[in-house]
Amino acid sequence: GAAPVGAASYGQPASYGGQQVPYGAPGSADPNATPIAQPAGYGQPQYGQPQPLYEAPQQGYPVQTPGVAGVTQQFGQMGVGAQPLPAAQQPGLQGGLAPAQRLNPLVPVDISAQGAPFHVSDLDLPPPPIILPPNSSVTPSPHSNCPPKYVRSTLNAMPTTSSLLKKSKLPFALIIQPYATLHDAEDDVPVQYDQVIARCRRCRTYINPFASFLDHSHRWRCNMCNLTNDVPQSFDWDGAKQQSVDRWQRPELNYAVSEFVAPQEYMVRAPQPLIYLFIFDVSYAGVTSGLLATSARCILESLDRIPNTDRRTRLGFMAVDSSLHYFQIPRDEGESSDSRMLVVSDLDEPFLPTPDDLLVNLSEARSNIETFLGRLQGMFASTQNSGSAMGSALRAGHKLISHVGGKMVVLSASLPNTGFGKLDMREDKKLLGTSKENALLQTQNSFYKSFAVECSKTQVSIDMFLFSAQYQDVASLSNLPRYTGGQTYFYPAWNAARTEDAIKFGTEFSDYLSAEIGLEAVLRVRTTTGLRPSAFYGNFFNRSSDLCAFPAMPRDQAYVVEIAIDESVTKAFACLQVGVLHTTCNGERRIRVLTLSIPTTQNLAEVYASADQQAITAYFAHKAVERALSSGLDAARDAVQAKMIELLQTYRKELGGGNMGGGGLQFPGNLRGMPMLFLGLMKNLGLRKSAQIPTDLRSAALCLLSTLPLPLLMQYIYPRLYSLHDMPDDAGLPHPDHGAIVMPPALNLTSGNLVPYGLYLLDDGQTQFLWLGRDAVPALINDVFGTGDKNALKQGKTSLPVLDSEMNERVRAVVEKSRDHRGKGCGSVIVPPLYLIREDGEPSLRLWAQTLLVEDRADQGVSGAQFLGVLREKVVS
Amino acid sequence: MDYEALKEQWSDIEDRDGIRLSWNTFPSSRMEASRLVVPIGALYTPLKEKTDGTPLLTYEPVTCKPPCRAVLNPFCQVDMRARIWICPFCLQRNNLPPHYKDISESAIPPELHPSNTTIEYRLSRPAPTPPIFVFVVDTCQEEDSLKALKDSIIMSLQLLPAHALVGLITYGTMAQVHEIGYTECAKSYVFRGNKDYTAKQVQEMLGLIQAPGARPGMPPQQQPGRPAAPVGGAQARFLLPIQQCEVQLTNALEGLQRDPWPVANDKRAIRCTGVALSVAVGLLETSFQNSGARVMLFTGGPATEGPGMVVGPELKEQIRSHHDIDRDNIKYYKKALKFYDALAKRTAHNGHVIDVFAGCLDQVGLLEMKGLPNSTGGHMILTDSFTSSMYKQSFAKIFDTDAEGNLAMGFNASLEVLTTKELKVTGLIGHAVSLNKKSSSVGETECGIGNTCSWKMCGIDPAASYSLYFEIAGQGGPAAASMQQGPQKGLIQFLTYYQHSAGQYHLRVTTVGRNMSGPSGDPAIAQSFDQEAAAVLMSRIAVFKAEVDDGPDVLRWVDRMLIRLCARFAEYRKDDPTSFRLEKNFTLYPQFMFHLRRSQFLQIFNNSPDETAFNRHVLDHEDVGNSLVMIQPTLDSYTFDQDGAVPVLLDSTSIQPQTILLLDTFFHILIFHGETMAEWRKAGYQEMEGYENFKELLETPKEDARELIQDRFPLPRFIVCDAGGSQARFLLAKLNPSTTHTSSSYGGVAQSAQTIFTDDVSLQTFMDHLMKLAVSGTS
Ligand SMILES: [Zn+2]
Ligand SMILES: [Zn+2]
Repeated sequence: GAAPVGAASYGQPASYGGQQVPYGAPGSADPNATPIAQPAGYGQPQYGQPQPLYEAPQQGYPVQTPGVAGVTQQFGQMGVGAQPLPAAQQPGLQGGLAPAQRLNPLVPVDISAQGAPFHVSDLDLPPPPIILPPNSSVTPSPHSNCPPKYVRSTLNAMPTTSSLLKKSKLPFALIIQPYATLHDAEDDVPVQYDQVIARCRRCRTYINPFASFLDHSHRWRCNMCNLTNDVPQSFDWDGAKQQSVDRWQRPELNYAVSEFVAPQEYMVRAPQPLIYLFIFDVSYAGVTSGLLATSARCILESLDRIPNTDRRTRLGFMAVDSSLHYFQIPRDEGESSDSRMLVVSDLDEPFLPTPDDLLVNLSEARSNIETFLGRLQGMFASTQNSGSAMGSALRAGHKLISHVGGKMVVLSASLPNTGFGKLDMREDKKLLGTSKENALLQTQNSFYKSFAVECSKTQVSIDMFLFSAQYQDVASLSNLPRYTGGQTYFYPAWNAARTEDAIKFGTEFSDYLSAEIGLEAVLRVRTTTGLRPSAFYGNFFNRSSDLCAFPAMPRDQAYVVEIAIDESVTKAFACLQVGVLHTTCNGERRIRVLTLSIPTTQNLAEVYASADQQAITAYFAHKAVERALSSGLDAARDAVQAKMIELLQTYRKELGGGNMGGGGLQFPGNLRGMPMLFLGLMKNLGLRKSAQIPTDLRSAALCLLSTLPLPLLMQYIYPRLYSLHDMPDDAGLPHPDHGAIVMPPALNLTSGNLVPYGLYLLDDGQTQFLWLGRDAVPALINDVFGTGDKNALKQGKTSLPVLDSEMNERVRAVVEKSRDHRGKGCGSVIVPPLYLIREDGEPSLRLWAQTLLVEDRADQGVSGAQFLGVLREKVVS
Repeated sequence: MDYEALKEQWSDIEDRDGIRLSWNTFPSSRMEASRLVVPIGALYTPLKEKTDGTPLLTYEPVTCKPPCRAVLNPFCQVDMRARIWICPFCLQRNNLPPHYKDISESAIPPELHPSNTTIEYRLSRPAPTPPIFVFVVDTCQEEDSLKALKDSIIMSLQLLPAHALVGLITYGTMAQVHEIGYTECAKSYVFRGNKDYTAKQVQEMLGLIQAPGARPGMPPQQQPGRPAAPVGGAQARFLLPIQQCEVQLTNALEGLQRDPWPVANDKRAIRCTGVALSVAVGLLETSFQNSGARVMLFTGGPATEGPGMVVGPELKEQIRSHHDIDRDNIKYYKKALKFYDALAKRTAHNGHVIDVFAGCLDQVGLLEMKGLPNSTGGHMILTDSFTSSMYKQSFAKIFDTDAEGNLAMGFNASLEVLTTKELKVTGLIGHAVSLNKKSSSVGETECGIGNTCSWKMCGIDPAASYSLYFEIAGQGGPAAASMQQGPQKGLIQFLTYYQHSAGQYHLRVTTVGRNMSGPSGDPAIAQSFDQEAAAVLMSRIAVFKAEVDDGPDVLRWVDRMLIRLCARFAEYRKDDPTSFRLEKNFTLYPQFMFHLRRSQFLQIFNNSPDETAFNRHVLDHEDVGNSLVMIQPTLDSYTFDQDGAVPVLLDSTSIQPQTILLLDTFFHILIFHGETMAEWRKAGYQEMEGYENFKELLETPKEDARELIQDRFPLPRFIVCDAGGSQARFLLAKLNPSTTHTSSSYGGVAQSAQTIFTDDVSLQTFMDHLMKLAVSGTS
């Protein structure tokens, strides 16, 4: 179907006189464009519109673009199972399914270019539905199974045996994101306050919607291990209100995701208060880059946003150059309101210079903290010190807060070059792209791991905000967050003098401070008997075989837990329960429970038909990072490619059947994006073969690959490309129904989709590029940027001017919406910086943006088509 | 000349030259000298303030050719016409400089005037910096004591010249150097209390020199064109002129809180005195080597942490006593001593002074720390608390000024001794260190700090007195006899070069000339014996020996020397004690020795080790007069029908019911009311009409005491007590036990006299023994 041509359609030469080249004319822009998919409009996607391959639950399925019907028809003609499947409207809701169609049917497609290849909009589809047998859950609640935004299984139908899993070559893992937002208010999870917690005596599973009651409801059967347990006495009685409670209204029986307020026995000590210890880099680099001033101001302005409803939040401040600087901030009520600086230059074994006032209660010292932050910049304004004893500062900071636990927030623009954990400037440009590059990705000083483990044991979490313009050794430093439930934030060559830099960091840091993180948390996965969590990935410390410890649990990270099948599962469905015991930043001990049930099958086809390509990619992203750090980048990439081949071969061998011929390549429709996602993974900044990528950038990318929530991870691997100059009329404007900004259709990542007169937004979630074609007309430039002269446009980091122009407004809305994490179902503090790229401008910028075009051939990487060719060759031969 | 006239003469010389000699005629042969028993010695007070001032010359001194370097003096032969002078020390001929062209018999420059044997030059060379004062303050103290201490230091800022540099270090569990030049907020550098920092580490940690981690050339952080050194040296950050930092420093002092670290009930405060001192020394060492500086340590208790700790933090562990040290069973003593001695040596090398002010009822470890003031010419003040007036007034007295308003303290001094060939210097005892300078004036033997002709006094004040010892080099005979122009003179020149607090270097020159004795057995030698000077000079040797030798050995030495002296100079018939007679100028000497033997300087077990260190420190600082008071206290008696004080024997017989006694031991001034006096006073007679004379009698000794206290440093402890009172023990301890519990059975002693419970021998017994031994000729 053709979209109606809007009045402000920049593709129409007629609208702007004097234009010689009729851009946007069918076939004229891109010789590779598929003619039939190129309607008489402008800038249409090459591969046509999204092609859903199975019927998804209605509300989860965004019918975004016209043309769906036509494409579905296409499938029908191809005879690959075009009939819409009987809807399993909701996980846990049972439709009248015929036995043969118990689970998702396999829908093979030709994923090659001439078939029904991957389209980026596939990524907006929910994973294959989880189809459970009727009456699996104890209540008819529509929320009884865990929604994918919290937990995604790589397999939404799991093999009953280990051998079938092995045969499938698919991984069985959970992608767990315990929180979907930075703040509770944005994502209500029901909470059970009565402290009556029913758990299985044997396997310690929390009662959940898949438990069952028997014996006149006096007992309940554990859905994991089948043990019959007594129902707690007060299960139906509210002791506080002295009235009976309708058990069927209890959140834990209705919601797969719910929280318990934990009673005393879940605490080894009183819930810890929220503690932030800020460690500022006050070396020459830290001060002259404006980092100190900006951080101090940002904290000052965010004091009201730091969670403190229980008025127990405490703050501490340290500064470091070649010495450690402690600050004593008196309480507001005290004799003196002046802070004092205590300098410790003895780095051998850092110590606390005073037992008092180094950690102060935010509420009790608010005014003095403000004064202090206001003066901090002045205290170091004239520094000439080029040292950074960050390792020593961390040890000192640990000493300061380890008796309570808390967060150390490191803001540094320097390589730690003295004291504990001293690091050398080891990066050598000549090593990049060679096998010796691997060593640079590993930590160069064992301090960073051993100290992090020490921190984990004392409930101390570390976040690293790194800003250096020179080598800072992100690889080593990122170990600190990795094992302590923290995060590495990297702002290469950041400088406060650039407004965009200051705003980006300021916004992110303020959001970061406002996030309602969990404290002294542990995460454990419990499973149906026969299954076992076998491997764990993410930023935490694996304290025992199945316990992941988080001194602080952020709300914007995902974790991967691989599940092994030790014994055959005989049940129709298996359960996996994630329990997160934590202290809220308001001092409440809580347990967040997420319970996921997945049908089991003995049928390989059903396993493939319910496999979740995004979850699988996320799993392999973690595996690839692990491989890169242990064996190197080549090995990591090779493993990714080999896995893709293996899966295609397995599919062909075990389930393939029909010969595609003519260069086609068959794979289940629900997995057709996997080759491009894998290609994107191999081409990601963290893993790409290149001799040009500074180690710190790579290391930071590897950190992202191993922590990002799944939606952001997918975008980071396979960025979003939107055409802006020819947006549909409703794009960039609020949707009439729900008010959310309507996005233009996303395009696959190939330069074939870029016309020279176009304006595009390319967004990998970490960076946004506005791509302005070399032949963009002045009117377009003027409407968007407020100047007709493209040479007057500032290339590189920029921000869009606010103009009284509909186009400008819509472009800004799209750029803004593209940054919106909540819409994607996850929390994040990241505000991607916006770069303006002129196709005919600064080549390095252009080349950088082009690295995101995953399906293009570039540098040392193959194009999407080439990749498919390689795969086919390996599979067919 | 009779003895009184001689005493008069010596007193005049002392007033003019600040010097007293044990022998005022020098023996002309080694043999003769060896028979003197008491060595030829001088007690010299280089910067003595004379009643009518020392002539001050504002030009450079005329000196002999190197290596002699003697300064032109009244003993030089000057050929006025040829404008040549002959150096009496090396006999070289020197030209007078051109500007002496107008010299004539009637117009001689001051330095040649016979009365100007002591003269001072203000040199053109300025001091590198104004005087520096670093206050090192212990914060482990009770609030009131800390408050008093802060107040006294703040007060002292007013007493210092405005250009003087000041700095502040505080300590407790840790040591903090306050960066008073920093104005953004209160800022200090903190050092752990339990670590022995090297000088280099201290300097690196204060950012005074580059730390290895921040060395220029560090690739990533080094900014092109930017020096990596911190802004400003010590002078801009830690040590600033008072006029510039008074507010900041006063704020820092006023804001001082007690050490914040908790102290358990059964523990002592953790106090890192050693680290604080070492940091102070390190701070000065970088930028101010050989610039006058005082580190003033105010300590409220013993070091319990780190290098220099003298006792552990457990209260149940007592601080060491003399007995413990004697038995060598304290684990900290030797280590601490070694630490402080090394620090003292370093400080002295740098030319800086360390003063120790202790305000504590218990000991603070002065014994271990004594090297600091002793080697650097610092003060040592031992008081019970910083709230005491003894502390406050003594501290304030340090900042006394001279007539011109300059601080009466010199810095970075050196004392060099030149002798004519007959004499050689064998050593010095006093608060100084050797400069290890060899010259032809250096003797073969060693007495005190020897093997050098030059000593360094980082701190020197007008009262500082040094004892110097000499030996006779010549064999006598022909060489001496060949001089036909009357008796030959032996000359000693003292050259004291120091940084004057006004900002210039000064040189004070004292030239002493004494006749050489005639042929063997010349009675002039015996007649020239100054028993007071001799007693003090011998006391210093005895105490010096006591620092290294066993107590009993030193006492035996004192006895032996006394017996030998008496055997040599008394008149007697062999083996007839009753025939024993001493010349007038020897009669008091045995008594001095008797009291020296009994004094706290040698009988240490009645005092704490800290008190011993303090007492000995003071002895080594004072002149002859004050030292004698310490050795043999003065006792005055007051009663009715007598005009003021009457000196009485330091003897228990002096205690009478109807007298008031005033005892001056230098360290204590004590007023003692006899039994009846005390009763009357308690009955309040002094307030009643008709008893004005009693009231006056009570007042007189108090006024006299005030008089005594006035010039005394450190301020003595003032005690008023009554017969039978517990405080009276201070008096009894000093009295000759002529009536002890052992002697009373013999009777014959006035009933009213006080009986002293002691095993000490009385002076009479002592003298009996002495006479017996002296005449036996066995010694
Ligand atoms: Zn169970
Ligand atoms: Zn000469």
